[in-house]
Amino acid sequence: MANWYNEIGPESDIIVTSRIRLARNITGFPFPSKMSEQQRAEMTQKVKKALLEINAPFAKNLRYIDMGDVPEREVYAMVERHIISPEFAGSNSTRGIIISEDESVSVMIGEEDHLRIQVLKTGLNLKEAYDIAERLDTLLCQKLGFAYNSELGFLTECPTNIGTGLRASVMMHLPMLDYSSAVRELTESVNKIGFTMRGLYGEGSNAGANLYQLSNQITLGITEQDALDNLEAIAKQFIAKELEAREKTDKQLLEDEIFRAFGILKNARLLSSKEMLRHLSLIKLGVSMGIINIDASLPIKLLVEGQPNMLMRAFGELDSRERDIKRASFIREAL
Amino acid sequence: MLCENCGKNTATTHIKKVINGVSTQKYLCGSCAAKLGFTGLGSGSIAGMLSSFLGDMLTENAGLNTKRCAGCGTSFSEIIESGKVGCAQCYSEFYNDLLPYIKRVHGSVKHIGKVPNSAPLAVAEPNRIALLKQHLNDLVAREEFEAAAKVRDEIKELEAKEMQ
Ligand SMILES: [Zn+2]
Ligand SMILES: [Zn+2]
Repeated sequence: MANWYNEIGPESDIIVTSRIRLARNITGFPFPSKMSEQQRAEMTQKVKKALLEINAPFAKNLRYIDMGDVPEREVYAMVERHIISPEFAGSNSTRGIIISEDESVSVMIGEEDHLRIQVLKTGLNLKEAYDIAERLDTLLCQKLGFAYNSELGFLTECPTNIGTGLRASVMMHLPMLDYSSAVRELTESVNKIGFTMRGLYGEGSNAGANLYQLSNQITLGITEQDALDNLEAIAKQFIAKELEAREKTDKQLLEDEIFRAFGILKNARLLSSKEMLRHLSLIKLGVSMGIINIDASLPIKLLVEGQPNMLMRAFGELDSRERDIKRASFIREAL
Repeated sequence: MLCENCGKNTATTHIKKVINGVSTQKYLCGSCAAKLGFTGLGSGSIAGMLSSFLGDMLTENAGLNTKRCAGCGTSFSEIIESGKVGCAQCYSEFYNDLLPYIKRVHGSVKHIGKVPNSAPLAVAEPNRIALLKQHLNDLVAREEFEAAAKVRDEIKELEAKEMQ
């Protein structure tokens, strides 16, 4: 089964992934920051047992991984492919993850809340992702009992997550909005209506891959359906604005830029992460505008697999120079 | 092609301008185009508000309350300092203290989303009537009679249910 970054999905030209996270805490234990190591271990066991009893079609072949047993390299490779949060990776406490074979469904145990149910889908696919998360949540809730009260909804360690506990997000590729600096303004406008947007590998035309994550902030006083509809509506506005900007741009100039990036990736002998991000972003833009004819999933796949820990996961320990060499050759061959 | 203005960045914007009947062209990078006022893309500002976070909440009200949660021993000032609530019970113990903050973050204090439907949840439900009564006292003290009337009705309703 393929990982999210090997596939394409609806609106993949601009929406790279859709992600749902549900924050849940089980009754009978304090929240993670107030837990003793023993309580953590107990809670983890309890959740693990409940999760492994589930064999629903939407969460096939779930397996439990004790994060303490995972080598550091692989822990950070999981961050690089967006399976776990950097906070979760960096923690020293007892923590585990339950994860499906294709890594699209996972539950972090012992992050900021006892459980973080996560579903990751390629493209604009919030409804399907939520549907899976919701069903898993219902099954787990029956087995474990979640902290909830009718006024404040699901109770979480941080009051910013109470209510639905739902954090939905889309990762968007916005090169033209980024080049024109419109992203900054748009970020401010979405902030005002309860959404956040942040650059994934830095912001600005020369910073990263022009990838932005847009997510909802408000979890109380709104239904899950409305939160998802709003996010999707805003994502679609971003799609429209990005397409409009692509339409308006000087095609010849852009084509030149894209083929230059292609030339560099096709020929470089040393390639830093930063350079890779910038050029792959142009390649992705070129593919979606029909300027370059390669497999549409390739730019993002290479972008993920070219991350430092992902590289070392595939090719063994490498120092920084060796990584730049390996990254250059691996991308040269793939294109 | 490099930006004609700064000569450093890649030109991504091609601008055609007609000044006094003479058309001129410019190739600019994103930041220079913005600097020179060639953005052209509206922000599509949408009405609404709300962005405050726990950060703003640190100073107010902290330290007034020495009560500790019976469930986990956390005091309200600790919650405010860390931005983290100690346990589910804290939410009922410090309900009235937390309410203004919750209101500020979410713009609402009432969950309208998914209602879980399973037995163990009864454990998590605090003594709601006691909680509401406390809330009612507060509202009356603040002379918010309209809201108070609603809460009083809800209490009556719940008490009637308990009688059955
Ligand atoms: Zn410039
Ligand atoms: Zn507590």
